[in-house]
Amino acid sequence: MATMTYLQAISDAMREEMRADERVFVMGEDIGVFGGAFKVTDGFIDEFGAERVMDTPLAESAIVGTAIGAAVEGLRPIAEMQFSDFVSCGFDQLVNVAGKMFYRQGLSVNITVRLPSGGGFSGGPFHSQNPEAWFMHAPGLKVVAPSTAEDAKGLLIKAIRDPNPVIFMEHKHLYRRVKGEVPEGSYETEFKARVARAGSDLVVIAYGAMVHTALEATADLDGASVEVLDLRSLVPMDTEAILASVRKCSKVVIVDEANQMCAAGAQVAALIAEHAWEDLDGPVVRVATPDVPIPFSPTLEQAVLPQVDDVREAVRELLDF
Amino acid sequence: MPQMGVSVAEGTVVEWKKRVGDWVEADEVIAAISTDKIDTDVEAPAAGRLHEILVHVGETVDVGTVMALLATDAKPGEAHSSEGTSAAAVAPKAHSSDGDASSGGTSEAAAALDAPGEAGELQGDTTAEHAGSTQEGAGLRAGGKRYSPVVMRMAAEHDVDLTRIEGTGRGGRVRKQDVLAFLETGNGADAPMHIESPYKPDAPPTPKKRMQRFGAPASDVAPMQGATAPLSRMRQSIGRAMVESLQTAATCTTIVEADMSRVDAARKTLGVTYLPMIARATIDTLREFTALNATLADNTLTTYDGVHLGIAVSLGTGGLIVPVIHDAQELSVEGLAQRIKDLGARARENALTPDEVRGGSFTITNPGGYGSIIATPVINQPQVAILDTEAIVKRPVVITDAQGNDSIAIRKMTYLCMSWDHRALDGALAAQFLRALADRLETWPVG
Amino acid sequence: MATEGKGNVAEGETEERASRLAGETGVSRETEERASRPEGETGVSRETEERASRPAGESDVTASPAGEHLTLEDRTGLLRAMLSMRGIEERAMMLYRQGKVPGSFYDGFGQEAVSAGPAWAMHGHDRLCILHRDLAAHLIRGVAPARIMAQYMGRAGGITGGRDGNVHFGERRVGCVGMVSMLPDMMLVAAGLAMAFKLRAEQRAALTWFGDGSTSRGDFHEAMNWAGVQKLPVIFILENNQYAYSTPTTSQFAVDPVERAAAYGFPGVSVDGNDVEATFEVTRQARERAIAGEGPTLIEAVTMRMHGHAAHDDMKYVPAEQIEEWRRKDPIDRQVKRLEPLGVDVVALRSGVKAEIDAAVAEALAMAMPDGETATERLFADEPALLEDAESRWSGF
Repeated sequence: MATMTYLQAISDAMREEMRADERVFVMGEDIGVFGGAFKVTDGFIDEFGAERVMDTPLAESAIVGTAIGAAVEGLRPIAEMQFSDFVSCGFDQLVNVAGKMFYRQGLSVNITVRLPSGGGFSGGPFHSQNPEAWFMHAPGLKVVAPSTAEDAKGLLIKAIRDPNPVIFMEHKHLYRRVKGEVPEGSYETEFKARVARAGSDLVVIAYGAMVHTALEATADLDGASVEVLDLRSLVPMDTEAILASVRKCSKVVIVDEANQMCAAGAQVAALIAEHAWEDLDGPVVRVATPDVPIPFSPTLEQAVLPQVDDVREAVRELLDF
Repeated sequence: MPQMGVSVAEGTVVEWKKRVGDWVEADEVIAAISTDKIDTDVEAPAAGRLHEILVHVGETVDVGTVMALLATDAKPGEAHSSEGTSAAAVAPKAHSSDGDASSGGTSEAAAALDAPGEAGELQGDTTAEHAGSTQEGAGLRAGGKRYSPVVMRMAAEHDVDLTRIEGTGRGGRVRKQDVLAFLETGNGADAPMHIESPYKPDAPPTPKKRMQRFGAPASDVAPMQGATAPLSRMRQSIGRAMVESLQTAATCTTIVEADMSRVDAARKTLGVTYLPMIARATIDTLREFTALNATLADNTLTTYDGVHLGIAVSLGTGGLIVPVIHDAQELSVEGLAQRIKDLGARARENALTPDEVRGGSFTITNPGGYGSIIATPVINQPQVAILDTEAIVKRPVVITDAQGNDSIAIRKMTYLCMSWDHRALDGALAAQFLRALADRLETWPVG
Repeated sequence: MATEGKGNVAEGETEERASRLAGETGVSRETEERASRPEGETGVSRETEERASRPAGESDVTASPAGEHLTLEDRTGLLRAMLSMRGIEERAMMLYRQGKVPGSFYDGFGQEAVSAGPAWAMHGHDRLCILHRDLAAHLIRGVAPARIMAQYMGRAGGITGGRDGNVHFGERRVGCVGMVSMLPDMMLVAAGLAMAFKLRAEQRAALTWFGDGSTSRGDFHEAMNWAGVQKLPVIFILENNQYAYSTPTTSQFAVDPVERAAAYGFPGVSVDGNDVEATFEVTRQARERAIAGEGPTLIEAVTMRMHGHAAHDDMKYVPAEQIEEWRRKDPIDRQVKRLEPLGVDVVALRSGVKAEIDAAVAEALAMAMPDGETATERLFADEPALLEDAESRWSGF
């Protein structure tokens, strides 16, 4: 076991896999010589060489498209989008080529696309997005979103080994703020949810950075026993775990840092409404960012991103219902 | 519906403790009612099987209305009428009041049935009153309440009558934990019907400070955020009384300042709070200013020989009640202290008798303990005045010595605020009364 | 360097080939020298013209632009592939009109040489991203006509099992990647394949076709740039068939796209797209460049789309003269003219192809439609399912 940051865990995952499997290589803008915009691949080029730590042209569509080509030939590319926001430039390749290839052609596409996502640091509208819902909606793509350092490493290793396209949402605000015990060596984390804290009066369902917000908001809430469920995997979604928590707690608050309309939480809410109706003791409540681009100025940004107080209020109100 | 006090004209059924078909012992509590003055239990006048409920939960009827019918010729151990056997009761017959009430007024809580004991057909549908005894297929409403899906499911699974469960959720909602708790206590076999007073103040509606974010769903209600809950019966009752008072009386307020140094010193020796001491001084001053120890009704002023002193007791955010110390002049400071304490305790337990809340001639209210320094109380109708004692605060005051020299001293001061009815008296009298009271306090014998 | 490659080179030709490679193929020179081209028609590379006139000094109709690279078997194989492609597409069009083919139907009538020649030049371990008018490439890689028919008809036994239609297929087991509708997305995939070969230092190349219209999209430029800057072993074949649906090339680009290759740092060469041996030869050369580590080549195969964009398009927007002009350059006719004097039994060839297609249609018609219950299956792979090798067809391997 070693204590490391969320960012270090991500680096560690790639390093482990690149050492163990020569088919694995990383590609992206400024990831080689510069070590990556966030230094996730710092030092990689020295260890693995410029071919396996590829500095690409500024061309997201090409990054994804060539990754697909390399993958169907048996390599295991890890493509980095410098900011999750730029994935829209590679949307077509991801959704139409990668996502549909196996279903149509029986040809598996083992690519991992890493998306540094999320806001909270005045990144503004083009550096703060949580676009996972776009890809949850595209059949054939898997989407995972770790919240802890341990999960970041395990989920990424699993993603690299998964023969399907996996979109890895790494929340950049957690990069250095989240630390944890991370097992040494290689291990895989299943694409399933995890109970971050067990409880019985109400469950808060979240993923990524919002798991931490949820934990903090409900740590000491008038003695109430609040469960926090960390989804970890959006596609495939762990419906069993969700329904089990709802059955136990009967009250649900779903937190999304993404824009509310059709966010992952909307899918969770629909699932619960349909399959857990008889377990509900109150309406399914959502706390999410309103449907605006993420603003730059801190007072505006804090006003739209769900804060600890927002979650706490929503939980408290539902507890009293 | 019993008459809980002379002025009570109606009552509301809050809860039926028994279901139709249940066996009821004589004097066993059969229902809980709420009136303007007080909430209380209603005991069965005789033993029998509850045959029919005529006044349902939430319904308000005049005093004297028949609330339910009891089949007194039924035998315990007989089949419950819901168990499909023919009922033992016979045609109901209304019974006039026979004044055998256990409480102060007449009690017409139940009509006894006398008839030959032959089992016969019942008129009317007896099964209709099984209010929520089984939940199969029952809609979301039972007894006017809504239940959530999980609560309905659990009730169905455990054959629980949801109307018997006290809700602790918002607005009295029955929540999942309420059902769980109910089940844990053995399906209500040990339900706290007799242990706890049926009167409970509603949970105060605290306004939720929700951050209004862009895109909140449109709603029909006012755009300000908060929480809504109907006022409790008591609150509504208090409200009506206050409005009536302000609309009837020509309410004025006079304020006088008193130096409480001597009272303070004496207090410590006596081992009492300020209130009984102020009460004692007030009583003495009222003996002097009899016009203030009076009630006014229909342009007729009635003054009293004794001082029947009402002491306002706060019931938390639920409201307040004013128990009365009849002939308070007969009590010493210590005596007053004891009575005030007793009345206050019983008021909060809802254990006052109706007579203890009526017949006052003057009222004292003392919210000063909360820190306010001046107030304008509302007169407790039909009295002509009410005294409000406020916080005792150290202030710098000017002291003139025998030589006429002024100096500043720190004294414990208080404002005596009295609201009075200008229809019954004038400001001069009010001021004189207050000054006399203040003097008494300022010259309290010490030592 | 080519001699070190995996090519199966006949001994006697080693030296000749080696000398030809040493700057004499004239590929890059061609680009510089091509000053004015007659509109709509390009000549073959000067090199091949010279070679054609070398042997006898008189016009030899059997001469091959590929010279000695193609044996008679190769040349016959090329013709057969084109006959097969045309035959299958004609039959499928009939079936479409008879209601047996759902959706839309696309063909490459008149363009058969654009796919047959280049596919023949690729090794079995090379990889192809094939487009919708390149059916011959599938056939050359070894895909059975019956399965192609079944694919058109949406049968369970079709190559995609009914999950995609018409020519949106690629049999991975013979190293073909199926296309998507967004063009030219597959250029990037081809570049990626080439990237894998380069990373693994393998003597393999990737090839993709795309149309004149698709050169207007971003992926064309991203792929050209990427392949150029990384010097990838990829061959980009631009099928310039004069129209993108109803849009003529004059509305598509202001610069002939083959000229653009220079902007991305590698050669572009134009070739007569209706001469199957010319398209073969230019691809063969491009492949050698790629294997030698010299990077990508853009080949513009100039041809004409003789049918509408799809079966529903009657191409009224094409001037009748243009169609007539190109009909006279029909690739199959030209190849037949080359081979008949050499004693190839073209009649037998045709009937053999017809019999094969008849059998294929019968077989496909007998196949079941896919079970609706399976529609949601197999979205994700449990195990990797990668590209595999085909049989090499060219005698030169």
